[in-house]
Amino acid sequence: MRAVEPWVEGPLAAFLDESAARLTLLMTSAGQVLAQHGFTRAFDVMSAAALGAGIMASTDELARLMDAPPFRALAHQGVHHGLFLSGFDTPQGRWIGLVVFGPESSLGLVQLFFQRLVADLAKQAPTEAPSNRVLGSDFEDELNASLRTLFGQ
Amino acid sequence: MPEFATALDLITRVHGVRGAMLVSVSDGLVVAESSMDGVDGAPVAALTASLAGRLRRTTEAAGRRLPTFIHLLAATGTVLAVPSNDDLLVVTIGAPDINVGLARLEMLHVAERGI
Amino acid sequence: MRSVGAMSDSIRAMTAQLVSDPASMIFLPLGEALRQRGQLDAAEKVALAGLGRYSESADAHDLYARILGDRGQLELAFDEWDIALRLEPDHVGAHKGIGFLYFVAGELDRALAHLETAARKLPDDDGAQTALARVKEALARRAAAGNGAGRETDTAVLTEEQAVVPGADPSRLFLGLEGAEDGLLLLDTRGLRLGGGLTSPEGDDVADAVSAHLAGVSQEASRTARLLGLGAWISLAAESPDGHLFVVAPTPETLLLLVREQSVPLGRLGVVADHAAGVARAWLEGLQ
Repeated sequence: MRAVEPWVEGPLAAFLDESAARLTLLMTSAGQVLAQHGFTRAFDVMSAAALGAGIMASTDELARLMDAPPFRALAHQGVHHGLFLSGFDTPQGRWIGLVVFGPESSLGLVQLFFQRLVADLAKQAPTEAPSNRVLGSDFEDELNASLRTLFGQ
Repeated sequence: MPEFATALDLITRVHGVRGAMLVSVSDGLVVAESSMDGVDGAPVAALTASLAGRLRRTTEAAGRRLPTFIHLLAATGTVLAVPSNDDLLVVTIGAPDINVGLARLEMLHVAERGI
Repeated sequence: MRSVGAMSDSIRAMTAQLVSDPASMIFLPLGEALRQRGQLDAAEKVALAGLGRYSESADAHDLYARILGDRGQLELAFDEWDIALRLEPDHVGAHKGIGFLYFVAGELDRALAHLETAARKLPDDDGAQTALARVKEALARRAAAGNGAGRETDTAVLTEEQAVVPGADPSRLFLGLEGAEDGLLLLDTRGLRLGGGLTSPEGDDVADAVSAHLAGVSQEASRTARLLGLGAWISLAAESPDGHLFVVAPTPETLLLLVREQSVPLGRLGVVADHAAGVARAWLEGLQ
């Protein structure tokens, strides 16, 4: 797990522990990554963030056309994995959570503990302005560096 | 879904029952619920479905057929579960002094009706 | 056997290749080489990266399963090998891996089926051949001795906790109690059997496999009771057409499973379980 803001780590760790999620991404509604778990390539992180933010923007637009409030969450179930996507408000702005889970978990468990994550983040969030660091591009460099360090290059 | 509500209402009339619901096991989501006395159905559904799944794997490992009734007793309450078909679970949450026998019979009746 | 230096050079070369071409399948031998060196964090990163690109690759799932197995995450390892077999029903690595897991859990019939497949396709693999031979020996012993005898030697691995403790013979834990030899199981919360035994209706020793699963069940029961505001869990009972199961926690670090035929009322099981829990507590105190 990695997070741009240290205060995100505790709530996210608790969520991962309880939900058994395989992949998790927290991002701003613009697709800027704030925390991730389970991804190992920067390209995948950034792609997933962009796609997730795009999906949420599309569903928000659908809701607007229907004259309805924004949809809180959406879920997809695949053969091996499920996907859960949800927008939520934090003191630092609107965020999006993207969660991928396997058969060891369930949509109900992910939803249950995601609600707790949102509540915990609200409690932990500081009032200062958020950092503008982008997480994704650091990750591949870190993998390369760790492998190099491992072999003493 | 009036037939679900009617069936679950019969369970909630048993002494000590705080609420009853139908749960999707694979999703851990509420399919239908009767009036719940201050109980949030979503966590009951998610957690009971997960528990039932684990117990199912345990009985398989023991070479036994799948559970037909599950009873979790805790300090201040009880959770009962009866599988209805492959993916549905009849779940009841109750007080410590719940009439387990009667609740079990009503739940089995609901499950056997194949709802 | 390759020298350490040669292996390091090989890993460096494979790493360089993977960095320059992330889509390369070199992640498979690289991940395996890292795993064999015990570098499980790096191996896992490589395996997951490969799985992200090649989620339909049985080899990739097999690699990840081996890493999970090394980490002791046997249930997740089982899931990954299961996926590998669904993608490629004849995948030798998956048959071998799942065969080993069943072997360790004491599920000999299931282990036999998988290890026979692996051994047939890998006649030069010492591990698969040896495991298959041991499973066949254990099955032969069980068949010769009938129900009960030889049960202990059917288990492939005896952990420290399962070894005889001076002054506290685990086979005598429930001596005198109804079902002492089969149907009463004491385990720790990590899923390791401490005493007692359990067989399936077909006579297979299932004690270790059930113990492993029960640890997860008790954690789930505890979480369910806690998060629903019901306090600490006290007992978990399940009826099945083949019998009733009853689980209690004699101490915070142990679990007790009672299994009886369906004719025994569930209410009575609670009484018997309480008594057996008392016996277990006394036995545990004797260990200290």
